[in-house]
Amino acid sequence: MIVVALAVPFAVGVLLVLARRFVPSRVAAWAGAAAMAVTLALYALVWEGSEGVSGRVDAPWIEPLGARLQLGVTAVSWPFALMTAFIGLLCCLWLVADDTAPALVGLVLVVSASALGVFSSLDALLLFVFFELALIPMWFVIALWGTGDARRAATRFLLFTVTGSALLLVGIVIGAVRGGSLELIDIRPDAVAVVLITLGFAVKTPIVPLHTWLPDAHSAAPTVGSVLLASVFLKLGTYGLLVFVEPSDHIGVVAPYLAVTGAFGIVWSALACYAQDDLKRLIAYSSIGHMGFVVLAVATRSDVGVAAAVFGSVAHGVVTGLLFFAAGSMKDRYGTTSMTRIGRGLYARTPWLAVTFVLAAVATLGLPGLAGFWGEVLSLRAAYDVGEVLSRPVAWTGLGLALLGIALTTAYVVRAVRLLAQGEPVPSDADRDLEVREAVVMGALVAAVVVLGLAPQLLLDVVQPLSAGVLR
Amino acid sequence: MTIPVDWTVAGPATVVMIGALVALVVDASYSRRTWLGSGLPATAAVLAGIAELLREDATGAPFAFSLVVLLGTLFVVVASNVMNFENAMPPGEYHFLLMSASAGALVVVSARDVVTLVVALELLSLPSIALVGLRQGDRAAIRSAWTFFLASVVSTAITLMGVSLLYGVTGTLEYAGLREALVDPDVPGSVVSVAVVLTVVGLLFKLGAVPFHAWVPDAYGGTSVMVAGFLSAVSKAASLGALLVLLAEALPGAHDAWGPVVAVVAAVTMTIGNLGALRQDDAVGLLAWSSIAQAGFMLAPVVAVSGPYGLSAPVQYVAVYALANLVAFAALAVVLRLRGSTRLADLRGMARNDPWMGIPLVLAALTLAGFPPAVIGLVTKVVVIRPVVLDDHVWLAVVMGVNVMLGLAYYLRLVVTLCGRAEGEPYVSPSPPISVRFAKSTVLIGSATLVVLSAWPDLLLSHLP
Repeated sequence: MIVVALAVPFAVGVLLVLARRFVPSRVAAWAGAAAMAVTLALYALVWEGSEGVSGRVDAPWIEPLGARLQLGVTAVSWPFALMTAFIGLLCCLWLVADDTAPALVGLVLVVSASALGVFSSLDALLLFVFFELALIPMWFVIALWGTGDARRAATRFLLFTVTGSALLLVGIVIGAVRGGSLELIDIRPDAVAVVLITLGFAVKTPIVPLHTWLPDAHSAAPTVGSVLLASVFLKLGTYGLLVFVEPSDHIGVVAPYLAVTGAFGIVWSALACYAQDDLKRLIAYSSIGHMGFVVLAVATRSDVGVAAAVFGSVAHGVVTGLLFFAAGSMKDRYGTTSMTRIGRGLYARTPWLAVTFVLAAVATLGLPGLAGFWGEVLSLRAAYDVGEVLSRPVAWTGLGLALLGIALTTAYVVRAVRLLAQGEPVPSDADRDLEVREAVVMGALVAAVVVLGLAPQLLLDVVQPLSAGVLR
Repeated sequence: MTIPVDWTVAGPATVVMIGALVALVVDASYSRRTWLGSGLPATAAVLAGIAELLREDATGAPFAFSLVVLLGTLFVVVASNVMNFENAMPPGEYHFLLMSASAGALVVVSARDVVTLVVALELLSLPSIALVGLRQGDRAAIRSAWTFFLASVVSTAITLMGVSLLYGVTGTLEYAGLREALVDPDVPGSVVSVAVVLTVVGLLFKLGAVPFHAWVPDAYGGTSVMVAGFLSAVSKAASLGALLVLLAEALPGAHDAWGPVVAVVAAVTMTIGNLGALRQDDAVGLLAWSSIAQAGFMLAPVVAVSGPYGLSAPVQYVAVYALANLVAFAALAVVLRLRGSTRLADLRGMARNDPWMGIPLVLAALTLAGFPPAVIGLVTKVVVIRPVVLDDHVWLAVVMGVNVMLGLAYYLRLVVTLCGRAEGEPYVSPSPPISVRFAKSTVLIGSATLVVLSAWPDLLLSHLP
């Protein structure tokens, strides 16, 4: 089942790229959406329960290396996979327009499928292959369809990520040699390997100070590119930390640094956000903060921490996806994402767009009842409980920084809402409210944000064996 | 006096050498000096050599290296058709020298005593030097050949010095004898160390390892592209094979002497090679420097040559490296013939406007970088890192990781250049010779092999020792 779920978007994606001159835009986008819908449905159906691995596929691959083609989803990876398929589907729907390049749809499919492959791999080498497979298509998405100095931003993104992945490769090999197999459950990274693997995923997550590729790449990318980068690509980093670093016996080597840099990232990103005029850059910086919560949670190495990391990652995926789609709508209308140039009073000018944006913005600051809240509160709880490997001063330093970060986050969100949504309307010729496709995409995400916010148990029950009794 | 000849070892080399002579004679008596006259006998001889090699059912590292050498030579011979009707390039001499060098390479990897090794190394080097300077009226080529010649002579001298010292302390030059003699406690350890290091240094020289790498970019850049391909693939595989067999068969007792040298040289070689490649803006120069870096990757697992993967890891790596490099060089040779330039700026958008040559080049670059979708490149990177980790050289593994990253920087630069959007139509030669198609076909067959290996890496990993 998982094989089909991966093969369909890969095949359709490659076909669309090859046949880009012969496929009409809308047909391409609908084909992509259909492929992702199939994938999403298959991933939803494959679930067999939180215990063990669902939908396991196991075939020999490279015997001399001990690498096998092992696919399957676990309680940790299934939410990531569902979220990725969901976002991929919405990206394709977003592209249902007359001016869409069919090749872009194809690349979106390949990127989404590669990310799904990462989340479904039970073999470290296979995971690594999927991890890298997404990079070059993403480079094209940013460089060819981006705006501004997109090529430079794309290249910087690529260089940073491959830097991380080269270290990751060595870490994986060391872990495989020590553990005797490339299977994820067998990998035993020693202290050096844990440092290498952490550095590798830290670039991707990203953890301050390795984040400098992110704002440029996110703001230069086209809307679907930004969404994929934020909702899916950053999750490759947090997922990697969850499966490689969190279970390792040597997490103690890196945990204090993870906790402090993660929490520092929350504060840093909030300050950076406050200084932004470009809405996409603001969202990009806010992602660093959200990932900071996830990293802090992972560093505690506790059941609550795992639940917080999974919930935080998925919630960030839908919330930031929604924000980038809203920013994309504004960009389509006004040709810019500069908040001062878009002007005030969107409530009056484009009410539905404004309401969606404000909902996403308050979700991003962690308003209770919306998706962003639970990831943050669980993360704070994990830090408060200190966990297995951190010392109390370190964990509570992280906690304090995170709380400060939340306060600062509120400040920049309120500023953005005030600059865009409220105030005396400055009407513009470009004022148009949501089109159908925008309404569908954003509506789906709004529903996800609200459902995850009101019924966090839906997700926590999946991860629950790992985090029994957190919320009871 | 009779000299015992082991035909399992000497067979393919003899066949290839006979082919070289036939090619020369045919070319001399066939007045029209086209490429096919001497090319056909050469091709036939290499095929016969491969058949001979497979018939003798040899095994182990020498067999694998011989196979790499023969297939590499076959590739070069066929792809060299791209130079047909280039007046400056005499086909008879070209094929003769190429085949002689190939025969030398075959003997090098099969040598079982040090004298044979040194003689065979000369048989490999001297024709290679002549090949570099063969293009008539090309001063740069002559200069490159001189540099190459001096480097080669110096390295042979150093190796001979090491060999004579070895003979002095052990009284034997056969690998098996050396192996036993070196564990004898009566043999003075310090002299052995010096002797072993000197012998190894000579071979590192041929391999183009730092600090003896300076001739590589010069020779590759000064000669025809396919000769550079030959040097980078066949010649390098042979030097590595010789080094590997020598260390594994003759000198395991002196591991303490050469182990650190090889490890440090590997680390420095890959770093310097990669740093050099980062600065190139010509594709051939980039590949030349990258092949220095790749030599470092091949050397790294040699430190664990006595371990479980000590022999197989470098063999598998060099096989994939040689194939990818040959594909890249052959594609560039075609590009040079058709477009007159291999500068990166002139290759922009080639994967779009000339997919039949552009996409193989992309694939080769990805394989050399070890980047999916060229899974086989990534797998062989894992293959060479694993013995290094197993042998507890974690620092070397980390250096390798850093170098994978440096390598990605310029290989991906090549990839994105090739895949980017072209500005304007490129210049294309109006009347390319038909024989360019032979070269193109080798590129396509080579890329198809890379694709198959990427889909099913077991094919290589389980079947090459």
